[in-house]
Amino acid sequence: MTSSAPGASAAVEARQLVKRYGVITAVDGVSFSVARGEIFGFLGANGAGKTTTLRMLCGLLTPTAGTAVIDGIDILKDPRSAKARMGYLDEEPFVHPHLTGREFLNFVADLYRMPRGTQREQRMQRLLGLFELANRDGELIGAYSHGMRQKIGLASLLIREPSVLLLDEPTNGLDPRSARLVKDLLEELASRGTTVLLSTHILEVAQALCRRVAIIDRGRITATGTMDELRAQAGSEQASLEDLFLKLTAGPESKELIERLLA
Amino acid sequence: MSALAGTRTILGAEILALRHRLTSRGKARLALLTVFLAAAGIFIVGGAFSLGAGAAHFLPTAIDPLLVGGFTGLSVLMLVVGFPTVIATFFVGRDLLLLTLAPVRTVEIFAARLTLAMAANLLISSILLAVILGVGAGAGAPAIYFFVAVPLIFAQVLAITCVQTALMSLVLQWVPARRARDVAALVAGLTGAGLYLAWNLSLRQSLGARSRQDLASLNTLLQRIDWLPPAWPGHALSDIIGGNFGAAAFWSALLILVCAVLLVLAAVLYQRTLLAGLGVFGSPQAIWSRKARKPDARAARGNPSPAFAIARKDWLAFRRDIRRLSRLIPALLFPIGYVFAVARPSQRTGGFWTEVFLVGFMSMFMATSLATPSIPSEKRGFQILRMAPLPMWQVLRAKILLTLPPVLAMTFVFSVVVTMVSHEAADRAIELAILVLWLGCGFVAVGVSAGSIDPRFDALDDRRAVGLVGTLAGLGGSLGFGLLSAGALALFIYGGDAIGGASRLGPFPSTPQLGALMWGTGVVLAAGSLAIVGFLLWLANSRLRSNEVAVANT
Repeated sequence: MTSSAPGASAAVEARQLVKRYGVITAVDGVSFSVARGEIFGFLGANGAGKTTTLRMLCGLLTPTAGTAVIDGIDILKDPRSAKARMGYLDEEPFVHPHLTGREFLNFVADLYRMPRGTQREQRMQRLLGLFELANRDGELIGAYSHGMRQKIGLASLLIREPSVLLLDEPTNGLDPRSARLVKDLLEELASRGTTVLLSTHILEVAQALCRRVAIIDRGRITATGTMDELRAQAGSEQASLEDLFLKLTAGPESKELIERLLA
Repeated sequence: MSALAGTRTILGAEILALRHRLTSRGKARLALLTVFLAAAGIFIVGGAFSLGAGAAHFLPTAIDPLLVGGFTGLSVLMLVVGFPTVIATFFVGRDLLLLTLAPVRTVEIFAARLTLAMAANLLISSILLAVILGVGAGAGAPAIYFFVAVPLIFAQVLAITCVQTALMSLVLQWVPARRARDVAALVAGLTGAGLYLAWNLSLRQSLGARSRQDLASLNTLLQRIDWLPPAWPGHALSDIIGGNFGAAAFWSALLILVCAVLLVLAAVLYQRTLLAGLGVFGSPQAIWSRKARKPDARAARGNPSPAFAIARKDWLAFRRDIRRLSRLIPALLFPIGYVFAVARPSQRTGGFWTEVFLVGFMSMFMATSLATPSIPSEKRGFQILRMAPLPMWQVLRAKILLTLPPVLAMTFVFSVVVTMVSHEAADRAIELAILVLWLGCGFVAVGVSAGSIDPRFDALDDRRAVGLVGTLAGLGGSLGFGLLSAGALALFIYGGDAIGGASRLGPFPSTPQLGALMWGTGVVLAAGSLAIVGFLLWLANSRLRSNEVAVANT
C-alpha cells in the first residue's frame, strides 16, 4: 500500500522493500513515501520490522528486493550522496565511550567533512547547551547516563544539519523534560524543511507529532495515512491512534488474553 | 529440590547458550573449527606428552624438579592470565543481577561461577596433564600415578581459582569491578612480560655453551620454591614414581586441606561481596569522569579529513582504554627480551638470515596485535562509519595509516639493535631496514584486511573480535606474504652476488646471466607477495561494504 505525500516531492521513498534472512522474511514489500518537511510516523509492535526497514532506508542493510530513495537518490546506486543528506539515530545509538562529548561531535563532523571554524564551533556549543550537556562536554561518554548518551547521539546528527532524519525511538530513555525538548525540536526542524521519519511505539509521541503514519505488522504495511484516513480504513470514526494500532495489528484482545491467563 | 539445584539451572543455561553459539556458526564453519582444534590439540598435547616422556626417560634425576616446575608454572600461568576471566565470571556479568534477585542461595551462584571460571583454567591445565602423563610413561610409573594425576591437577586449578576469587572479593571493597578487570589485564601483561624477561636474564643466561650449569641453576631455583603449596602435587606424584606412597599421601592430603580452606574462604568472601552490592551493581562507573578541559584549539583549524578523524578517534580511544593498552605491553617488551637474549656474548644470532627471521616475526607479531582488531574493535561504532558518506577503502586506509607508525617504529628500532649487536655491515643494515619497511606495510595491510573479512562487532573482547575465517585469512596471508618477501630478498641478495661473481651457489656457476635470472624471479615473488596483500585488501573492502550479518548483529 503506497500513500504519496500530497503537494510535495518525496524526501524518503520505500518502494516494495523486502528483506529476507534465510527462510525468515523480516520485511515483506514495504512501500511508503514521506514528503519534504513532513514528520512521518512509522509504527509497529516489537519485531514487526521497523528497525530493519529503517536500516535498509539508511543503507546499513541491503534490501533483498526493492528500492530505498533519499532526497531523490537511490541509496544503493549512490550511497555516498544519499548518506550525506541524512542522519540515522539507532534505538540505542552507539557513542564512543572513550571519547568526550565534544571529541565525539568533532569526530562525526569531520567524518561528514563539515568545515572547521567558528561556525561549526558555535553550532556545537548551541547543541551542547540545548541538550544541557555544555558542562559535561569534557567528560568521557562512558561516564554519561543513558539519557545523556541519547542526547549526544541526537546532537551528533543535528550538528551536520541533514535534510532527512531517520529516528528509531529518539525519546527512548529521556526524561519528560528532554523528551518534550526533542518533540519541540523535531517540529521546529520540520517547519524549516527537514524531513523526519520517526519510528516509535510510543503512540502519544506519534499522535502529537506526525501528520501521517504507517503501521507495520509482521513485515507488512497494514495501513498508511492521516489519522482520519486510518479511522476510515478501520471503520471507526472516534478511535484513538492506540485503538487503531491495536485493531490494525490484529491479535487477541488484551482483555481476552488476561482472562485466559487468570483462568 | 536438591541442595545445588540453582547451580544446575545456571550451568544448564550456560551450556545451552554455548551450544547455540556453536551451532549458529553454520555446519561448514563448525566442521572447519573442529578439524582445526583437533589438529592443534593433537600437535600440542602430543608434543607435551613426548616432552614429558623424553625428559623422564633420559633425565630421571630431574623428575621431581620437572613435576614441581610444571605445577608451579601452571599456577603462575593461571594467576597471570586468569584474573580477567575470574573477574568477568564472578563479578561483572550482567546476568549476575538476575541471579542475585532470584531466590537462589549465594553458595549456589558461587558454585556455578566457580565451575565456569575453572573451565578456562582446566583447558590450560590439559597441557600440563599431557606432560605429567608423559613423565609417568617415561619413568614407568605405577598405574595409581595416572589415576592420581587428574584429581591433583583439578585440585590445583580449584585452589588457584579460589585464591583469585578471594583476592578479588577483597580488592572490590575499594576498586570497582570493571576497573579491576582492566587493571588485572594490565598486571597480567606486565607479569607475563616480566617473567619472560626474568627467564631470559637469569635461567637462559648461558644456555648453550654451559648447559649443565643452567640445569643446575634451574634445579636450585625449583628447590627454593618447593615448599610452596603449588609444588605439593608435584612432590606427591614424584613420590609415587619413587614408590614412597606414604609421602605421596601426605602431600596430597596437605593439598586437599588447603583446597578446602581456600574454597570456604572464597565462598564466604564472595557471599559478602554480593551482599554488599559490589561487583557490577552499585559500583562506580567503569569509566571515571574526566575533569572538563578547554577545547583543543588545534582541532578547530584546517580542513576536515574523515581518515584523519578516524585515526584521531582511534588514538584517543586507544590511549584511554587500559585493556587495549595492556595488550600492547607484551608486544613492546617482546623486543626488549630478544635484545637481552641476543646481546649476550655467548648468544650470536646466527647470521643475517636469523635476523631476517626475527625482524619478520616481530613485524608480524606487532601487526597481528595492533592491526587485526582495528576494524572489529569499532564494535557498534561501525554503524557510524557505514552511515558516513565515505567509501570503505577510506576506512581501511585510515586503519592502516594509524597502525603502521608504531609497527614500523618498533620493528625498525629492533632491527637497528639487532644489526648493531651482530656487527653487521652497513649494506646488510640497509637491506634489513628496507625489509622492515616492506614487511611492516604488508603485514599491517594483511592484519587490517583479516579483521575486516570476518569481523565480530558484537564481541565484548577484542581478542574474540575476529572470526575463524578472518583468523585463517590473516595467518595464511601473513605467511604467504612473509615467505614470498623473504624469498624475493634472498634472490635479490644472491642474484647481486652472482652478478658480481662473488656468490657460492653450489653446482651453479656464478654468472651475470644467472644473477639477472634470480633478480627477475625475485621481482616475480615480490609481485606475488603484493598480489596477496592486494587481494586481501580487495576482499576486505567488498566484505565491509556488504557485511550485513555483522552489521545486523550490532
